[in-house]
Amino acid sequence: MSYLETRRHELRKRRILMVDGNLTLNSQTSEAGASARAYDRGYWGFASTNDTSAAGIERVTVQARQNALAMRRFGAKSVLALHEGTYRGEHVFAGRPAIGQDECVERMAAISAWCRQRYPDLKSMRVLFGDEHHSKRLSTSTGSEVLNSIQRALCYVTFTAVGADGAPVELMEVFSGKGSLADLDLSPEHMAPALDALHRHVHAKGEAVAARGGKHTVVLAPELAGMLAHEAMGHPCEADLVLGGAVTRDLVGQRVASDLVTMIDIANTYDGQEVMIPVYADDEGTPARDAVLIKDGILTEFMNSRETAARLGLEPTGSARAYAPSDEPLVRMRNTAILPGTSRLEEMIAGVDDGYFLMKTANGQADSTTEFMFGISLAYEIRNGKLGRAVRDTTLSGSAIKVLQTTDAVSNDMSWNCSGYCGKKQPMVVSMGGPALRVQAHLGGE
Amino acid sequence: MMAAALNLQDTAAQALGLMRDAGFDDAQVTAVHARLDELSVAHNEPSLLRSTESHKLMLLGLVDGRVASTEVTRLERGDVLERILGLFADAKSAPRDEANAVSGGQHARIVQGPQEPDRELLAAKTSELLAFRARETPRMMIDEGAALHQWQRWHTLTTRGSDLAAAIGCYSINVFGTAREGSKSSSFNYTGGAADELASRPVQEYFGIAHMLRDTERQIETRPFDGKFVGDVVFTPNAVADLLGWLLGQLGDTQLIAGSSLYNESVGEQVASPLFSLRSRFDAPGIAALSTDGFLAAPVTVVDQGRLKVLTPSLYGSRKTGLKHVPVAPGGWDIAAGPTPLAQVIGGVQRGAIVGRMSMGMPAANGNFSGVIKNSFAVEGGEVGPALSETMIAGNMAQMLRDIVAVSSEVIDAGSTRLPWIRIANLHFS
Repeated sequence: MSYLETRRHELRKRRILMVDGNLTLNSQTSEAGASARAYDRGYWGFASTNDTSAAGIERVTVQARQNALAMRRFGAKSVLALHEGTYRGEHVFAGRPAIGQDECVERMAAISAWCRQRYPDLKSMRVLFGDEHHSKRLSTSTGSEVLNSIQRALCYVTFTAVGADGAPVELMEVFSGKGSLADLDLSPEHMAPALDALHRHVHAKGEAVAARGGKHTVVLAPELAGMLAHEAMGHPCEADLVLGGAVTRDLVGQRVASDLVTMIDIANTYDGQEVMIPVYADDEGTPARDAVLIKDGILTEFMNSRETAARLGLEPTGSARAYAPSDEPLVRMRNTAILPGTSRLEEMIAGVDDGYFLMKTANGQADSTTEFMFGISLAYEIRNGKLGRAVRDTTLSGSAIKVLQTTDAVSNDMSWNCSGYCGKKQPMVVSMGGPALRVQAHLGGE
Repeated sequence: MMAAALNLQDTAAQALGLMRDAGFDDAQVTAVHARLDELSVAHNEPSLLRSTESHKLMLLGLVDGRVASTEVTRLERGDVLERILGLFADAKSAPRDEANAVSGGQHARIVQGPQEPDRELLAAKTSELLAFRARETPRMMIDEGAALHQWQRWHTLTTRGSDLAAAIGCYSINVFGTAREGSKSSSFNYTGGAADELASRPVQEYFGIAHMLRDTERQIETRPFDGKFVGDVVFTPNAVADLLGWLLGQLGDTQLIAGSSLYNESVGEQVASPLFSLRSRFDAPGIAALSTDGFLAAPVTVVDQGRLKVLTPSLYGSRKTGLKHVPVAPGGWDIAAGPTPLAQVIGGVQRGAIVGRMSMGMPAANGNFSGVIKNSFAVEGGEVGPALSETMIAGNMAQMLRDIVAVSSEVIDAGSTRLPWIRIANLHFS
């Protein structure tokens, strides 16, 4: 069994950072490359170069084959029968014409000026614009010929205020979407409701109280439920981590969450709409399909590449993706979401006597044990069903399986974002989504 | 794999000429050539051999006090010229900022570390690693591992006469994995680092690899701490790296320019325990003593026995804030070893934990944090107990530096960092 894929890959990125009206970063980068990956007698070889010509492709193909061959020094290895799924198609997002750096800077300056005028009490504010465009043309020995083009854009606005104790307090709002910066409405008028809320919250944080450390009833805003889906159960359902010893390996068919929880890594379409990171065929040319990870609380399947599917005796899901031209495909999430339920967020909060409403997260981390962590940058106490004081930055953690089994309400709305990177050897653009969840989990604090 | 080796100095000089012709007042150009040879392990088996080669130009241009930067990998003259013209438009659209400038009068030629890969050595070290795992820690699954050689040469020129060239090679080993027995798994754990050579010792003696593999096997069975208490932590070098990263962030441009650094006015003051000293090692494996904004990075002591000696703004940060410019390399830091053997550092803990890794969000702007401690062990009465799960600690990063009560004489040299174990008092456990 041998297999070969070649990829021409261009990655264009833009980052502009304005700090209090000063442009401290004004950068556009373009990275073009050609790569080849060969599978031969149980071993892989990979090679890449910036030379995307036919000659460059030929050279990396020869090198990748030689590299696979060189691995035979480690002895004979069992040869996997890789799945031979094939896809032919081109998928390019048809967004608005891109805007230039000058227009981006004008829009950032307008946001900065508008905020300075509207929120004169802020100590500092930062506006970051970024977009990136991945264009990958793939050919495989199984017959796949694919052009995948993925674009996403984001804007971060960070407010810094002075807290009651004189120390700085920060909070960030994120605007993100599919396409380039031209596809986001970044006018101050459109952003005003979110920025007004950010201003209210950063001042509330200035007088925040510490969270009480320990287990609590918490209502996770939709933004956090998406992170829970991604970090807590998404990573442990990546088949390479399953092969590496994640506890999920022995849990297929078993209950890992309340029956209110259904979680899917969506390939390209949800509810009739193309999702933010649409994958029709992955970077191995495998046709992509949704991976239903949890169905009504029962763990059902994993996300697979051609290799992990062969090792586990499963069907591939089209989840192998490479970030940069010099990267090989790894099992990665695409658009991971917990599906909406039937409760209303207000009722979920009203039903808590003593707990917390967690609204924003800074980052998160998963583990092979399903024990997860999110940094919580905005939260409020809930007392007798009503929101109380803001809470200082804290951390939410727990075993995802234990936490998801305590889910007793899922809201009927859904929030998506694709503003961050997933990190796993390589970075990766992903989106995540979810409704609000009410669960029992552990908060860090005194 | 490129047809011919690129003359980086000529490439940089041509690009600088094009930028002058385009109308830039000042410019910095860096031409880069990089190669990687990497032998990967997946799930305890050799898996993939990778060879990559890349070239790029990094361009920064100033016009009328306005700045923009770019990177390109298509190096044909027409492609570069097109991007330079675009860069000029990008810069013209930026707000004027008199703090923008490029380096001048800097000259260096640095050649450091192994310049060519020894693939036989990479294969031998991979075999050694897998044999050690099978023999000594059989319940450990190396999910991802790599033995690699990285090499990069670059040439930086500026319109102010700086001319800096370096060719840096190094070997690295990285190990990431989980221990498993039956249906139970440990948390994942990892270690790694860079070195100029890998031949002088068994592979497990580099970068704390043996420690990591053995500790992870002991972390399959875990239990949480009962209740809340205030206790001590012994941060392993891996956890100390998080503390170091936070401190360096406080001393750099972003926080200084925003005025949100906790140390803006603290040079000359005691900011940490007298047991804590931080100095550069900009000649570390894989590091060149050059800053990214084109300056020679002279050796620097940042914290001396707890007293803050310098802040580290870049040229831009310095001109923006009026603070003294202190060029630093992108890595290469050494926290001084202490006088206390590790066993005594741990033995002094009445109740607390050895913390292998902090899993947490970004600390708050005032340094407050809470996080889950991973790859960690309980310590009671100076004795190391079971591995921990579902245990959090909370504290303040700045206060932790002041609450250091012991620093080990042992260190782990990971190349870009050389760090000891550090005991810190007064953390809130929950």
